[in-house]
Amino acid sequence: MKATPEHLLVERCRQGDDAAFRELVDQYKGLVFALIARSIPNRGRAEEVAQDVFLKVHRGLPYFRGESKLSTWIYRIVINAISQERPELATTSLDDDVNEDRPRVQPGADDRAFGDLVLKDRLQKAIERLPVQYQVLINGHYLKGMRYEELAEALDLPMGTVKTHLHRAKRKLRLLLETEYR
Amino acid sequence: MRCHDLEPLIEAIADGSHEPSAEDRAHVASCPICSARFEQARRIEQWLSAREVAQPPVTFTAAVMARIGQDQWQAERAIDIGFNLAIGAGVLVILMGAAGLAWSLGFFTITIDVGALVNAAFSRVEGRVMSEAQTVLISAVLLTMALVFWWWAEAAAD
Repeated sequence: MKATPEHLLVERCRQGDDAAFRELVDQYKGLVFALIARSIPNRGRAEEVAQDVFLKVHRGLPYFRGESKLSTWIYRIVINAISQERPELATTSLDDDVNEDRPRVQPGADDRAFGDLVLKDRLQKAIERLPVQYQVLINGHYLKGMRYEELAEALDLPMGTVKTHLHRAKRKLRLLLETEYR
Repeated sequence: MRCHDLEPLIEAIADGSHEPSAEDRAHVASCPICSARFEQARRIEQWLSAREVAQPPVTFTAAVMARIGQDQWQAERAIDIGFNLAIGAGVLVILMGAAGLAWSLGFFTITIDVGALVNAAFSRVEGRVMSEAQTVLISAVLLTMALVFWWWAEAAAD
């Protein structure tokens, strides 16, 4: 079944069409849940927050003027929801927290011997320490359906800055692995 | 020095968005520190690209619609309560007006000497104003009691 064009879908939702809003939820639930689940490890809580996002979408639709894409607007609501859930990370800087003067362990044969499972666990912990904006940037960029342009629009940043921020966030992950999660 | 200069570019080199010069490429390949950093960045890139995507439960959409229904019901309930209170207040004002008229016409008297209390506080208030204040004060007390009773009735009904 062909998806309803975005502007028609929004208009039908505004008129109180439950079937239209159900279609909207079905269209975006994958992206919203995946983004939130990557920042909130507890699955039950991630489900609640994801539901809250759609509740806010429903309440805010009468005021959505269509100046940005619907996905961009929803993405911003997701960022705010995660920031409320992790207020300690909402305003931290990417340069906080990592003590680059600490001795850095260079990855070597032992790390490779431990394998991907350990790296996966360490990386997940490291991502959860990033400021919310960078978490969502990294998580969004590596999810299908989030392009640089959409990320730039959602975060109100030039596209070049988005790429720079992504590299800085990944650099911080590497530094965290080298100094904290050995 | 070269390691320090190259370090901020490692992630861009690893994800292919920055093409290093031949000299930089040769250094990364030969320097154990830069080589290890590049390898780590590459593994991070691979892991980020291959991460499992969490799927919402099959009941997710139904749960969202149920919450929206509940949200709408609560909003409508608040409007209903407000409307009922306004109707109640209006009816009471009418009743108080009728009671005040009956009192003015002498059909019944009020024994509480509110006038004396008001006069003690406002010595220069004239008699006409004092009698009106008496009516308003009694009406306000009765209206408040009625609102409290109505609220209790709504809560009991729930």
